[in-house]
Amino acid sequence: MKNYFLILFIGLSTLYKVEAQGHGPIYGLQTPTLAKGGINMNASGMSIATEDEASYMLRYTFFYGITEDLQVTLTTPTVIERLENAPRTRGNSMMPSNGDIEAALWYRFFSNAFGVGKRFESTAILGVSAPTEDVRGQVNVGNSIHGAISTGYASRTWYAWLGGGYQYYFEKDNEQLGDLPYASMVIGYRPDVFMGDYPKPDWRIFVESLAEFPGDNKVNGQFFSTDERSKKVLVGPSILGLTGPWGISFGALFPVYQDLIPNTPREKYRVSLNISYWL
Amino acid sequence: MKRIALIIVVTVFGIISSNAQITKVDQEVFGMDCAPCAYGLERGLKKMDGIEKVQVSLNEGKAYLDLTANNNLSLKQIQEEVKVNGFSAKNAEIVIKGNFVEQDGTYAIQTGKETFKIAEATSTNLRSRLKPGVLTVKGIVQDEEDGELTTKWEIELTEIL
Repeated sequence: MKNYFLILFIGLSTLYKVEAQGHGPIYGLQTPTLAKGGINMNASGMSIATEDEASYMLRYTFFYGITEDLQVTLTTPTVIERLENAPRTRGNSMMPSNGDIEAALWYRFFSNAFGVGKRFESTAILGVSAPTEDVRGQVNVGNSIHGAISTGYASRTWYAWLGGGYQYYFEKDNEQLGDLPYASMVIGYRPDVFMGDYPKPDWRIFVESLAEFPGDNKVNGQFFSTDERSKKVLVGPSILGLTGPWGISFGALFPVYQDLIPNTPREKYRVSLNISYWL
Repeated sequence: MKRIALIIVVTVFGIISSNAQITKVDQEVFGMDCAPCAYGLERGLKKMDGIEKVQVSLNEGKAYLDLTANNNLSLKQIQEEVKVNGFSAKNAEIVIKGNFVEQDGTYAIQTGKETFKIAEATSTNLRSRLKPGVLTVKGIVQDEEDGELTTKWEIELTEIL
């Protein structure tokens, strides 16, 4: 319980330092891109807890809309507490919850607005990351590339996104973190009570799920374990509130299935608080 | 004498043209689902020269615009602003003041920048009341593809003001 309060405190404390933005789920891949010339700033407090320890991190993300379908993002962390024995995870589909600095391009390659508040759209993400630590989970950590694709439906009442991604870490000093394929699914709902028209506050709730299949690490030039991948499925709720240019969201994921390769720590939960602002 | 007459004609035409304009737009917007979406569109529209008042409704999917007197805005510019915000501009109900003209058997209202061809769906009663000269009319402008906007539109008149 103390951890939840810490995350809440960290997130709220950033409110006065950074103007931030984000308007979808926290953990799952989504599709919206900014307006042409639009700028968003986003500050997050996040934590991942395993059976033995927990990480705490602030993360700042800058978004810029090059066109209404193409945006660039840059995200950088302030790590407060790292995990000694970190699970192999990206943690959060939209931004790393490990110590990576990441730059990415988002391209919304399909969009069909077919009704009031309704649209189908698909977005591809391609990013490059650099770690802020030398060793992660007792393995040298190098630069990485990340690609993802997401497709979804938005309306005034229902949301749904389905996506998948892949992160590949380059070798560093004869060691290499295992690659990370993952998939996410999000269902969102805005109850009638939150259907007040703009400029009234706009709230919605999500059920988010994330499945990760990290590969083996390579240590001293040798793959560390078996040919099998870990398998992990997490599910949890999140809530997003928006008013004018401001947004705040809070969510948690809990593992419902973990089939891990040996020496991989079991996770207990992930929590995140996100504060957003559109400039 | 001929020169004076020419100057008068040119001056009068110039006055008529400068008064020709859109005065009100209720723009239908598809794909806008959230408060920051509405905020972004509202802010983008407010930045345009010639907009007096903007109101955006998420539930109705509309942007209601009052334009200033003697504005120089076109419907194309307004719909392009909707597009760069990531949404799709559909039908628009507009009030325009413009010159009613006949060209090659078709009837249209011209503002300084755009031509609004009178749609066949316009009632016979309204059509019969159209007279050459400057008119103020209200009507529904039909949706055009967002990526292929021109300065030519089709309007179904609903009222002559």
